[in-house]
Amino acid sequence: MLLSIAVLLPWVAGVLLVGLDGRRRVVGMLAVAAVGATVAVLGVLLAQVLASGTQTVVTGNWPAGVGIVLRADPLAVTFGLLSVVVVLAATVHELIIGISERTFPGLVVLLAGALTGLFLTGDVFNFYVFFELAMTASYALTTYGGQRRQLQAALLFTAVNLLGSFIFLISVAGVYRVTGSLAMDAVRTHMAGVDPNAAILIATGFFVAFSVKLGLFPFHFWLPTAYAGARPAVAAILSGAVANIGTYGLLRFGVGIFPDQLRLAAVALIVLGAVSVIYGGVLAVARGDTAEMLAYSAIGQAGYVLVAIGVGGPVGLTAAVLYSIVNALNKALLFLGGALRGTFVAGAFAIGAFSVAGVPPMAGFVGKLEMFRASIVAGSVALVVLLIVGSALSLIYMFQVYQHQFWRGDQLATWASPLPLRLLVGILGLLVLAAGLWPEPLLAISSRAADTLLLGRIG
Amino acid sequence: MILALALTAAFLFGSGAYLLLKRDLIRVVAGVMLISQSALVTIIGSSLSRGDAPIAVQPGETVSDPLPQALALTALVIGLATVALLLALVHRVIVVLHTAERDELAAGEAAHDAALESQRQADLDEAR
Repeated sequence: MLLSIAVLLPWVAGVLLVGLDGRRRVVGMLAVAAVGATVAVLGVLLAQVLASGTQTVVTGNWPAGVGIVLRADPLAVTFGLLSVVVVLAATVHELIIGISERTFPGLVVLLAGALTGLFLTGDVFNFYVFFELAMTASYALTTYGGQRRQLQAALLFTAVNLLGSFIFLISVAGVYRVTGSLAMDAVRTHMAGVDPNAAILIATGFFVAFSVKLGLFPFHFWLPTAYAGARPAVAAILSGAVANIGTYGLLRFGVGIFPDQLRLAAVALIVLGAVSVIYGGVLAVARGDTAEMLAYSAIGQAGYVLVAIGVGGPVGLTAAVLYSIVNALNKALLFLGGALRGTFVAGAFAIGAFSVAGVPPMAGFVGKLEMFRASIVAGSVALVVLLIVGSALSLIYMFQVYQHQFWRGDQLATWASPLPLRLLVGILGLLVLAAGLWPEPLLAISSRAADTLLLGRIG
Repeated sequence: MILALALTAAFLFGSGAYLLLKRDLIRVVAGVMLISQSALVTIIGSSLSRGDAPIAVQPGETVSDPLPQALALTALVIGLATVALLLALVHRVIVVLHTAERDELAAGEAAHDAALESQRQADLDEAR
């Protein structure tokens, strides 16, 4: 019941809100209420799922195998809740400074609905439909602001990601061809008996599609322009919520459907992830612009997740889930806080910066710790060295920006942003700090999510 | 038949990728359209089957698989919507920037880089 509400509520609210003039304050408030209600529903759903196990609903009461399956397991609900929380923070941010375009509130609510649907669906083609819906909403959101830079960002983002979506669609066609099914659990059981050549081709297609979304090293070229050109709130949504599609896809499809192919490609994934970490780190150090630095940092952080997925096993997957959660919160905090000034803001930004670098007691430390554990389980000295180099690079670039933004002696330093905005960023900062001080719930959720994947309880 | 469809899909994808790399934005849109068609041809080629319409099926009757047709229709609609969005975006870019060439868009990016460079120089001067 809650499962259907979680998908339907933002969907219906979004469709209604798109028709209203979003520049009116009340419409923005309705959007915040709708996204907030979705957060609440997903929170209750997560508690239920953790307490009593996976829930499934077959839409329209069709017999199993005909109807589309919606499935709430710990992994899906965690990613859904995380993404919608980031969307909520960005929407509140825009509401406070004043929404300047009529479609913005409707689009963010639709995006929240599409993300929820995408994470909760148990059907490969339905995943594609929600995926396109989420991407279409984000293409439109990237133009928010309507200035030169936003339009350039949106154009590049749209052209590259449409290519990624069609590669995904071609892979879906391949899956149906070789397994004769589209429900994830059925696909998973049939995939074991498929011709290995065909399976590896299809797996590569999915990998490319999700890597484009996530902005991993060889597919990253669109990301800096898009993140740096978009408005801070939109950049926070793109890197904190939309990029989760990539991580979730790699986990759900890679670990859940193509475990053999993943094992085969593990070394390649770890190497790609390592290159991402170093490349993102080095280029972030070289950038002067906060948003651009954060964009390159996002490439590096995505690399860590890929390394963790490559290591695999309960420890590697727990690290991957935990790291994505922490990374999404960090990015939301930094993108929203990077453009503000005044009390709380510098502190909150420093919390985010320390968290990216993995300094205790921030949430990032827990993420890095799990990563270290994964690389020790993998028994690789090179990985441990990579993690240390990556963390050192992130400390350098984060504090370059901190110094540039908050220690300047000109008029910018004395100007302060409105109090509600500073409070919002302060709350996000406290969330990151709290997750680092009391990491047990996060760890428990991540390891439950990793178990779901490993035990194959899909559907 | 499947070979012909596969070759068509490959040809469409190749031409689309070629157009996507062009400087002219309208050609980029055309490239995306061709690639979306290539995905459709792949769906049709990979799973369409011959047979009667699957309505009120009697046992023993051969029917065509309805799922690929549903997939192709859905993908067609989504492709239409995304291409419409992309066209609207390109139109907006042409109106705001008075250009449909990607080079001139890149020039805007270069100007932003130059501004950052001068800011960095100012920081250095301040430090000295």
